[in-house]
Amino acid sequence: MGKNLPGYFGEFGGRYSPEILTEALEELESTYHKLKKSKKFKKELEYYLKNYVGRPSPLTYAERLTKLWGGARIWLKREDLNHTGAHKINNAIGQALIARFMGKKRIIAETGAGQHGLATATVGAMFGMETVVYMGAVDVERQNLNAKKIEMLGAKILPVTAGEATLKEATSEAMRDWALNVSTTHYIVGSAIGPHPFPMIVRDFQSFIGSEARSEFKKRNKKLPNAIVACVGGGSNSIGMFHAFLKDKQVAIYGAEAGGLGPKPGEHSATLTYGKTGFLHGTKTLIIQDEFGQIVPAHSVSAGLDYPGVGPEHAYLSQTGRVDYRMVTDEQALDSFLEVTRVEGIIPALETAHAFHVARDVAKDLGKKKDLVICLSGRGDKDVTEVLRLLGERK
Amino acid sequence: MSKIKSLFESGRFKSAFIPYFTLGDPNYNDSIEFGKTILDNGADILELGIPFSDPVADGPVIQRAAARSLKNRFSFDEIFRVTKAIHDHKPETPLVYLTYFNPIYHCGITKFLDRAKESGIVGLVIPDLPFDTEESETLFRELKVRDMDLIHLVTPASEKKRIQALSKTSSGFIYYVTSFGVTGERREFSVDLKERIKFLKDTIQLPICAGFGISTPDQANQISQYADGIIIGSAIQRVIEENGSDKTKTVTALADYISKIRASIS
Ligand SMILES: Cc1ncc(COP(=O)(O)O)c(C=O)c1O
Repeated sequence: MGKNLPGYFGEFGGRYSPEILTEALEELESTYHKLKKSKKFKKELEYYLKNYVGRPSPLTYAERLTKLWGGARIWLKREDLNHTGAHKINNAIGQALIARFMGKKRIIAETGAGQHGLATATVGAMFGMETVVYMGAVDVERQNLNAKKIEMLGAKILPVTAGEATLKEATSEAMRDWALNVSTTHYIVGSAIGPHPFPMIVRDFQSFIGSEARSEFKKRNKKLPNAIVACVGGGSNSIGMFHAFLKDKQVAIYGAEAGGLGPKPGEHSATLTYGKTGFLHGTKTLIIQDEFGQIVPAHSVSAGLDYPGVGPEHAYLSQTGRVDYRMVTDEQALDSFLEVTRVEGIIPALETAHAFHVARDVAKDLGKKKDLVICLSGRGDKDVTEVLRLLGERK
Repeated sequence: MSKIKSLFESGRFKSAFIPYFTLGDPNYNDSIEFGKTILDNGADILELGIPFSDPVADGPVIQRAAARSLKNRFSFDEIFRVTKAIHDHKPETPLVYLTYFNPIYHCGITKFLDRAKESGIVGLVIPDLPFDTEESETLFRELKVRDMDLIHLVTPASEKKRIQALSKTSSGFIYYVTSFGVTGERREFSVDLKERIKFLKDTIQLPICAGFGISTPDQANQISQYADGIIIGSAIQRVIEENGSDKTKTVTALADYISKIRASIS
């Protein structure tokens, strides 16, 4: 039993959630397997992704960044151009369709940066479902624009004040809500985390990112890129980007995680660098924890990376060495944010800015005539106020 | 025979009273006094909570207790020291731990169990470790070697097939979760509570104890008519929350509450 069961990635993954959720998770798993094979579901999903989200998202050649960095050619997979401004909508639509199929009329979500909350509130409005979003009280402050949008869309925001009042606590609270309302409610988990089948489902709905990028790149360049980069919070945009390339051994894969203020516990969210194996929010994965197995609060300048765990598939890819995960500090991310904004005319999300920092190093190492694709996971409108505040502190 | 098994077979009570509280709230030494008070006033089994930073199966009262406890420096040495002191006060009463799996895993399963047993613990309740995981099987094996019990949770949502499968790696008693959601006091319970418990009794050859949401003597009395035991956590923890800064007051309030519940289920 265990490691060879579905839902495990090597030793990571599985289902370690309260018993009250098990039946719902099993129902979700079997429904999803059924829907995955259904042509009708596939068509429906593709319909909304094309006509509501705006997929496929473009692959932009970043001419000025390429010149500035002086190495590999830089390409951007433009998830920022999706409706609601980030990759989160891909998963929200997919899961809302599952919820609808299961006859659940209420959806709930957790959110850090607010992008997943926004995506869920959006599909809730579109499909006419009652929507509740759990958001850390700290994040309601620092991502206030998204919090306001969520409410405007008719969803209810429930600010969570426990603990650090960020994504970890919002996730716990959403799980508690689900335990209470499991028969009427679907919990749209926002990243590739949580008990099986969530990491698999979220990855599948985000896999459009990588498969589109791969085929578009191939069509235009008659080859595959030499490397790809994405930022890793819970790990949904990155696993979506990586998945189509995992078997392409010639493609180097890089993940950027939040190095925060430094290496001390509590200063970062660098789970793949400093995490140890453990159990949190229903999954066995790498977690930032102390010597007694208590979870250490995470920190990142970007609310979407501020989580002490990571999706189990990333833990596995890190262990096997297939993906090279690197840390990016708050300062480096902020610099990359400004650089990309001014050079390319694209304001990236602070989360994505972490990926740009890693990409710059990788581009230099690769050298000219090589190609690098960055997953531009979302746009930075939500971060403008926070960045201005941080720049003010810098002076 | 495990200590819990022989207790239920002794026929000493109609329904067992199983109180719960979190160790270290507001501090470790006061926990010793609270534990002794609860034992003196009629606990048949005592559940001691090892605080965890992210208690997803717990409602606000127990969450806050864990948070207050973790403001003290957490260590297993302290947990075991306090446990031992409570155990020494009344060695015949079985003590069990309720905690989440991560701290146990981190401590190391065998090391944790050896030290827990030395401190007087005879069973574990782990709300985030489903029975059908490799870790649960390992734990069950290791507990058995030590004559300790793995107490599983069954909920109103658990299906028959799962309940039957679960009975293979359960011992001690079954913790029957009376309502949907997390721990916390409730006014009502699921309508078919009695039938569910009866079904469980017929399916699993273990005592069925009901918990989650019970707080008043009336509720305890009513449920004790058909359950083998009554588990109360949040209501006790609230007594500690409301009086905890004043140890003497807390001890009095706990003694009063515990004896009332014990009397209501006799
Ligand atoms: C734009 C953007 N990128 C990345 C992330 C990080 O999440 P994940 O690692 O699941 O992609 C978030 C999370 O809110 C986000 O909003």
